[in-house]
Amino acid sequence: MAKLKIKGVEIIETFAEAFPMVGTRIIITAPTQKWAMIAAQTMTGFATSVIACGAEAGIERVLPPDETLDGRPGVAVLIFAMETNKLQVQLRNRVGQCVLTSPGSACYAGLEGEKKLKLGSSLRFFGDGWQMSKVIGGRRFWRIPVMDGEFVCEQTTGLTKKAVGGGNLLVLGRSHRAVLSASERAVKAIKDVPDVITPFPGGIVRSGSKVGSKYKGQIASTNDAYCPTLKAAVNTALPPYVEAVMEIVIDGLSAPAIAKAMRAGIYAIIKGGAGEGITHITAGNYGGNLGPHHFHLKEIIA
Amino acid sequence: MSALTLELRTEPGQRLDLSPLTPAALAGMKPKGIEAIAIGTVRETLTVGDVFRLKGNEAAKLRFAGTNDTCDFIGQGLSQGEIVVDGDAGAYLGSKMRAGIISVSGSAGALAGASMRGGRIDIARDAGEKAGGVAVGEAHGMRGGRLLIGGKAGALLGEKMRRGLIIGGGGAGDYAGARMIAGTILLRGRIGRWAGYGLRRGSLIVDKQPKDLLPTFGDCGVLEFTWLRLLDKELKATDGRFRLGSRARRLVGDMAVLGKGEMLILA
Repeated sequence: MAKLKIKGVEIIETFAEAFPMVGTRIIITAPTQKWAMIAAQTMTGFATSVIACGAEAGIERVLPPDETLDGRPGVAVLIFAMETNKLQVQLRNRVGQCVLTSPGSACYAGLEGEKKLKLGSSLRFFGDGWQMSKVIGGRRFWRIPVMDGEFVCEQTTGLTKKAVGGGNLLVLGRSHRAVLSASERAVKAIKDVPDVITPFPGGIVRSGSKVGSKYKGQIASTNDAYCPTLKAAVNTALPPYVEAVMEIVIDGLSAPAIAKAMRAGIYAIIKGGAGEGITHITAGNYGGNLGPHHFHLKEIIA
Repeated sequence: MSALTLELRTEPGQRLDLSPLTPAALAGMKPKGIEAIAIGTVRETLTVGDVFRLKGNEAAKLRFAGTNDTCDFIGQGLSQGEIVVDGDAGAYLGSKMRAGIISVSGSAGALAGASMRGGRIDIARDAGEKAGGVAVGEAHGMRGGRLLIGGKAGALLGEKMRRGLIIGGGGAGDYAGARMIAGTILLRGRIGRWAGYGLRRGSLIVDKQPKDLLPTFGDCGVLEFTWLRLLDKELKATDGRFRLGSRARRLVGDMAVLGKGEMLILA
């Protein structure tokens, strides 16, 4: 079978294997865009992977004042976990410690849904009896007195169980610089896709992992097949000329959103063509037995 | 199909109980059947046919025309559909209603929207005392929905209200928001004495400081309120007339009771 190449970059005929997650969106607003962003960045910090962070979270997009409930600048945040109760704890802790504390902030539901996650419903107790609830347009909001006025927080936010985590792309290239710059371009393109985030630092992971390890108790370890320094030592997946590999992990509220984001990412990566130093685009999977969602690269770019 | 219209054609000589005439109750009924419904309140029996002229047949949008202040209980317990009143309404307009819309082109008597739970009442002109207050046999006042009064509201507006929104465009009588448990009352114009008497929780929002303030309200100064922006946006979507801004002077009270309520004087 002929190899699939676009602009000289080979698209490996494989698939990204992804997992079901639970997730939600919240909207953070503040007196200025700067402070909405500070609150959002703080609450989505240390949320790259559920392996040790408890949740995967990221900033979906910036919201202009005319798109928010209170007419102030805002930021939409997505947060995901493997189970509802874990997501609930993470949401409470992160909003409680990072948004409630941020000057002038307010926090609203960003997702509708039959099932709900508590938001202000648990944070209101910070008000020590002085909290007030207001029902406006059928939605309940809590007003919690704080030192700079009031923290307004919606009672609940919607929960989706159709979220998908671990959509991914692996970028292979002849130089570290080329791979980093192409990956950055992909992350930027994915930012414009609704309903998805790239939870890793700057959207990029350089330490992709495989399941298991030679050490007892270590559940994930370095993906040696893609480590350029181990090319001759292990059953490598890399041609001799590849110097670096980076991964872009995508979490989304739905499987179609992940597919859209992967497509946007692939086209952004190959924009510079092989001349830039990018050689292959592939994806990570575990043979297809672990995750129910398979995103075949060939179908995605079609 | 046109709206089912009941036009008052004669002076009834007694107060009327129009509570049996709701869109749900009249759906599918023949004019003969509707005309036979008893609406009298004294020993002398009185039916719809005795005083009203019937037109149209679509009961989902029920219209009363030429009504006056003796037409009580219009839309009591309304659970669906729409009632339009061309004229005045008597006491208990839309009391205990749960859903649907009632609009009145004139004024309403006492206890409009008393103990209502949901839906919307729009009164173009004035409302009598205890609008949004406590209906007989009920423990609480209004507990949901929206009551809009274009003109002046009478005394004891929103008495023992628990939830929902009352908007008054032409001021209110004495004791506005008395013994309120929660909810929001928005008032423009002159309001009478002792607003917020016995206010436990809830918000009484006024556009200027009332003349006679209770001494049991404490001043917190002029502050920024994010939630007023939420309310403002909701008002913009439903009724364009009231603009709130986001700054207000906050008075907390009534300190003689729980004292967790507030009077917000828009800045």
